[in-house]
Amino acid sequence: MEVLQYSLRRLVAGIPLLLGVTFISFLLMVYFGPDQTYQLLGKNPTAEQIAEIRAELGYDQPFLVRYADYLREVATLDFGNSNSTGELVTDLLARTIPVSLMLILPGFLLGNLLALLLALLAAHYRSRWPDKGIMAFSVVGMSISYLIVIIAFQVIFSSSSGLGWFPVRGWNVHSLAEYLEYVTVPTLATVFVALGYNTRFYRSVIVEELNRDHVRTARAFGVPPAKLLYRNVLKNCLIPIITRVVFTIPLIVISGALLVETYFGIPGVGKVTFDAITTGDQPVLKAVVGLTAVLFVLAQLVVDVLYRAVDPRVSLS
Amino acid sequence: MTTSLKALTNLRWLPAALMACLAACGGGDDAGNSSPGSSAGLKVYRHSMDESPTSLDPVQASNVYANHVLINAYDTLFSYQYLARPYVLKPNLADGWPEISTDTLTYTIRLKRGVRYIDDPCFPDGKGREVTAADVVYSLKRHFDPATRPQGAWLWQGRIVGLDAWKEAGSNYDQEVEGLRALDDHTLQIKLVQPYPQLLDTLAQGYSSVVPREAVEHYGREFGIRPVGSGPFRLVSYDTARIVMDRNPGFRQEPVDLAAEGYDPATQGQYGLERIEGRSPPFIDRLEFQFIADASARWNSFTKGDEAQYTTIPNEQIDRVLTSKHPITLKPEYAEKYFFYAGMEAGFIFQTWNLLDPEFGYNEDPERERRNKALRCAVIKSFDWPARNDSFYGGIGTIFPGIIVPVVPEFDPDLSRVSVTRDVAGARKLLEDNGWNAANLPMFTFGTTANVLNRLMFEQFRAWLKDIGYPPEKVVLKQYATFGDISKAWKQAELPWVVKGWGLDYPDAENTLQLFYGPNSSPGSNDSNWRNPEYDALYEQSSVMLPSPERTEIYRRMNEMVIDACLTATGLARTRIHLWHKDVIALPDREIVGGFFLKYVDVED
Repeated sequence: MEVLQYSLRRLVAGIPLLLGVTFISFLLMVYFGPDQTYQLLGKNPTAEQIAEIRAELGYDQPFLVRYADYLREVATLDFGNSNSTGELVTDLLARTIPVSLMLILPGFLLGNLLALLLALLAAHYRSRWPDKGIMAFSVVGMSISYLIVIIAFQVIFSSSSGLGWFPVRGWNVHSLAEYLEYVTVPTLATVFVALGYNTRFYRSVIVEELNRDHVRTARAFGVPPAKLLYRNVLKNCLIPIITRVVFTIPLIVISGALLVETYFGIPGVGKVTFDAITTGDQPVLKAVVGLTAVLFVLAQLVVDVLYRAVDPRVSLS
Repeated sequence: MTTSLKALTNLRWLPAALMACLAACGGGDDAGNSSPGSSAGLKVYRHSMDESPTSLDPVQASNVYANHVLINAYDTLFSYQYLARPYVLKPNLADGWPEISTDTLTYTIRLKRGVRYIDDPCFPDGKGREVTAADVVYSLKRHFDPATRPQGAWLWQGRIVGLDAWKEAGSNYDQEVEGLRALDDHTLQIKLVQPYPQLLDTLAQGYSSVVPREAVEHYGREFGIRPVGSGPFRLVSYDTARIVMDRNPGFRQEPVDLAAEGYDPATQGQYGLERIEGRSPPFIDRLEFQFIADASARWNSFTKGDEAQYTTIPNEQIDRVLTSKHPITLKPEYAEKYFFYAGMEAGFIFQTWNLLDPEFGYNEDPERERRNKALRCAVIKSFDWPARNDSFYGGIGTIFPGIIVPVVPEFDPDLSRVSVTRDVAGARKLLEDNGWNAANLPMFTFGTTANVLNRLMFEQFRAWLKDIGYPPEKVVLKQYATFGDISKAWKQAELPWVVKGWGLDYPDAENTLQLFYGPNSSPGSNDSNWRNPEYDALYEQSSVMLPSPERTEIYRRMNEMVIDACLTATGLARTRIHLWHKDVIALPDREIVGGFFLKYVDVED
């Protein structure tokens, strides 16, 4: 009951956040985003045709009227049709979000789990060669541009001048074998980069915990290292870890992985979002921004509830 | 049972969930009877392109990418011969050539009988019906209905009797248009306001694809992703990375006559095209478009062997792939695996002054106007076309003077090349003689979309201006995030210098000459905003003339007027090197409308 009451309170408290995010983003879209009028015009447009297109796109309406429409769309989850393709935005998201999830989830899970393991190892051997080796690897992962990693992995694993084991690009997935074939190289690239950032973050959290009195006491009582790391350290580090992991999820669900999707020709929501940004396809952008804001509010709620689950000292009141 | 075994048992739902997810994200099967993923045993051709179409609604077929798909999903009344160069029209859905009245104002076009739309839920019982003349009327009317957000109206605006008035009256599809009527199911009549020699070319465009009203009404806005046509292929799936089309089993039987398609054994004999002679297209079961924006990814996919079967050679690969640029020859390791065809672009790259710009353009003060013209001429003289060609077009583009591009019959190969020859001394003298110096030269804003290549082009241009004494700090770059943004700046005449490429809509010099016709000024396609009564009169005179030596003479005179006016630095026609796997029997091309060849592609078993 306490959790339910808390959840409702948080959801209500999330409304101003939603209004703020949607208002600012819509302001940016309208006044700083691409004007689609000139992409939708023919070769010798008249002033009348320009006015017709602007009316069709709703550009001739006052800002506040358009913003009110946007709020109604968020509330009803009906964002209309894409200005570019004409596809229903909800259908478009329903088509592309599962693809992005299937593409990103393996990299997301492996990137976090492996990073956690490496961070535990590095923290345990702090200032010794395993720590230095892992940290050097992390710095490499963080330093190389994601795009370069993608290109390099594609050349190494997929191209005819490399190993040629996997498809260069595409997403022709109808079976588990095909899924593994198409997801492996993007996952390897994602994990390579994610390991760098995640390992460093998790290591610093774990090292901080290792310096606490209760860990020193447990160590003095002879608790074996593995048990110490799991029970005394990892469990107490869960709050920052949960925060990081949960807040990444909305970005994965809605924003997808733009670079991976674009470079590997995968029709996920990241590519759709990028196309919408560059073309000024406002119905799609409004949906992506609105849903991302909603997911962040939900993520915040989940994080708070999880805090309580992993640390009973946290009060939901 | 141990705890871990129990956990394993509890995870029995996992495979089922995974398979459900795979089914959800494996790409839709819109048609219901073929899957875009299962290509085993099928004859598949995979065609890569650098961009994807935004919409598959013919009224929005504004680019070559959309046309590639549309003219293979739909029928157009006319088409272009597969192999003839220069491009030659031929009847397609039209049953022969039209009857044209002696005043050339009335066209009567008969449609082939028995041509049917593909089966689709939009039809009663899901069975495609026969294509009729009323469909052609409906399809052209859609360009005059603002609700469809049409982009092709400019082709027929002010040309067909009553069509503009029909729009003014509210675009009621049940209301007849005097100049656009279906006389019966298989006869169409078009009445023109004045002669329109390019009319049949416009009826070969993706814009004029013949669509069924039922589909437009059934799918509404989603018609843009659900083409229902009578073309050689039918859409199976569509997303921004890939389009899959399957052979339309009901496509009419029309055996290929290579001679009638303009086949030239001397230049095209090596491609194995004789093997399609006498057979009815389409020859492949599946046509797959792969949209790969990144050139290196496209190249990797092409050279992989089992992915894309066609690409154009990216500029950065030209030196790696070619042994010689003049003539173009492939290195042996590539020649062994791939066919190639080097085709000149049906269009050109040019840079134009905007004469509405207060600093560089027209000026009411005759003295300032004289000095401005000298300044415009000096900048054009500084332009180094060979350097631009070498730096950005692989050194294989064709530089030519004027705005009549080399692929049209009206091109004059003997025209003086002075306007495309760099003359730094002449430019300096012009500036000096007209009182221009580093102190009083105006700020020059060079607008481009924001990318590295455009930045490099700007820097090269700035260096050329420096050579003629233009201070580099007075030449500034203004970047626009998207093409739409810079297009807005052009249409609103905000930039002094417009850098543009133009692809021909039809193989007639009229299509580039209209770029300088006064009434087409901004927001029209005349970005120079040049208004010359003599030029405009010649344009109007020639625009109603059928091809003839007299018309060619007028075209050439107009071309020289543009050159003499120091309006534009022009031009360069890019050469595209098409490369395709040797198991593909085709002669690829992407000019004019683009994609006509796809109907005739075959793949060896």
